[in-house]
Amino acid sequence: MNEERTIAVADASTEITKKDLNKMFWRLQLMQLTTNFQNMAGTAFCNMISPVLKKLYANADIEAKSRAMKRHLEFFVCQVNCTGLILGVTAAMEKNTQEADKDSISSIKTGLMGPLAGIGDSLVKFTLVPIFGSIGAALALEGNVMGPILMFLLYNIFNVGSKYFLIHWGYEMGTGLLEGDKTQVLIRRISNAASVVGLMAVGSLIATSVKLQIGSTINVGEQSIAIQEMLDMIMPNLLPLLTTVGILAIVKKLNGKHTALLILATFAVAIVLYMLGILV
Amino acid sequence: MLQALLIALWAGICSLDDVGPQMIRRPLLTGTVTGLIMGDLAQGLTIGASLELMWMGIGNVGAYSAPDLVTGAIIGTALGISSGGGVATGIALAVPVALLAQQLLVLCRTLNVAFVPWAQKTADKGDFDGIMKIIPVSALMYFLARAVPCFIAVYFGSDLVSSLVDAMPTALIEGLGVASKIVPAIGIALLLMMMLKNWVGWVFLLLGFTLSTYLELSIMPIAIISLAFAVLYVMVCEKNAQPTVAISEQSDTEEEYDL
Repeated sequence: MNEERTIAVADASTEITKKDLNKMFWRLQLMQLTTNFQNMAGTAFCNMISPVLKKLYANADIEAKSRAMKRHLEFFVCQVNCTGLILGVTAAMEKNTQEADKDSISSIKTGLMGPLAGIGDSLVKFTLVPIFGSIGAALALEGNVMGPILMFLLYNIFNVGSKYFLIHWGYEMGTGLLEGDKTQVLIRRISNAASVVGLMAVGSLIATSVKLQIGSTINVGEQSIAIQEMLDMIMPNLLPLLTTVGILAIVKKLNGKHTALLILATFAVAIVLYMLGILV
Repeated sequence: MLQALLIALWAGICSLDDVGPQMIRRPLLTGTVTGLIMGDLAQGLTIGASLELMWMGIGNVGAYSAPDLVTGAIIGTALGISSGGGVATGIALAVPVALLAQQLLVLCRTLNVAFVPWAQKTADKGDFDGIMKIIPVSALMYFLARAVPCFIAVYFGSDLVSSLVDAMPTALIEGLGVASKIVPAIGIALLLMMMLKNWVGWVFLLLGFTLSTYLELSIMPIAIISLAFAVLYVMVCEKNAQPTVAISEQSDTEEEYDL
């Protein structure tokens, strides 16, 4: 019966307080513990959003609670700090969306996690950590113990601060978005914009973090030409690009399964090619 | 013995940090404390700093687990100090150790798959606090994954580790190094699988790749440039969404066009 259903779901009049958001902050500290090759950080995401779900679904029946948890056990992968933003936005959406529309929550998560992962990895792991690391290392190499201390402080002001800030800001932003009528439009806009930024960031990641070079040469008469030089003349970083695209095709065929095997296989192939002198 | 235990404890703590708050997991920090435990803070600083610089920009991407900087730095620093070989020994040991320990991390993520059905059962029951019970099990696994190798390495000393490292064909170790630089492609491919929804996505991917390869731009300028493209793209998408509405609203009467 319709009436029974409305009582059995999330109570949108429940207030989500700063304390609830802070519970997500603490659980965010545990994010990568349960990362696995099946749902990546899905288990962790469900764990992190659970304090908010628990409050919203306090008076709901088990079916609704179970649906809510299962919704967030789905595949999820993102950089840790940026996940704070997704947690905040998701919390706001869980509070303000009707039970029938809860599918849109999965779409916003999926729309945001890729781009934020690309941006987050590039910004945090490949920009901020190197910067703070070099400052600290320079001091440490002079024998100054302030080196590691400074690095620890600088990095963690950002690290911890961003996690806290992004959760709370994400929640406010999410709530602001959803109170208007133009939600769908706005969500689509943000998703599109995020895709562009994320894709460009990942494109640059291919160039910077995948390194692949061929060491063989071709002998034509008396001349020996290094294959890598020829390839570089066509396009530098051509091999990393082709390799990534090739692996993308494989991953698509495998539908995201067997990732561990794929990693081991890549290691094996690379080692063999290295031993044959083809890869350098 | 005591040193080995303390090092193992520190390694375990850093391990939990690596998959947790991520506050201390970098070589400069782990190495310095290792140096303190081994009784030579100065060497700890030096080896830690050297490894930090060498391993700049190494990190997990998507499904890819990077070489284990935690075990590498801790064992490298500890044995660099205890063997008297200093920075050179430290680095020489840290690199192969990190590559070998990397496989343990892949193993951990594989073992975590076993807990997914457990998580699903808590979901079946609508038990919102249920997953927190899984956390300690994963935590124990990660703690041991680093504490045990570090304990063994420090307890049995650099001789054991050196002979283990020497016993491995150099080709294997170097091959692992080369392979490590290719495997990020898998993590990236996984992200792309989610992000590439249509052919336009490829254009932007290629654009970012080109800016990085040919113009050698770092991520900050690329991010700022991408904002401009993002705005343009959103505007174009909005414009394309309008015509269908306008056409259906058009009446048969002539309309004035202000051009």
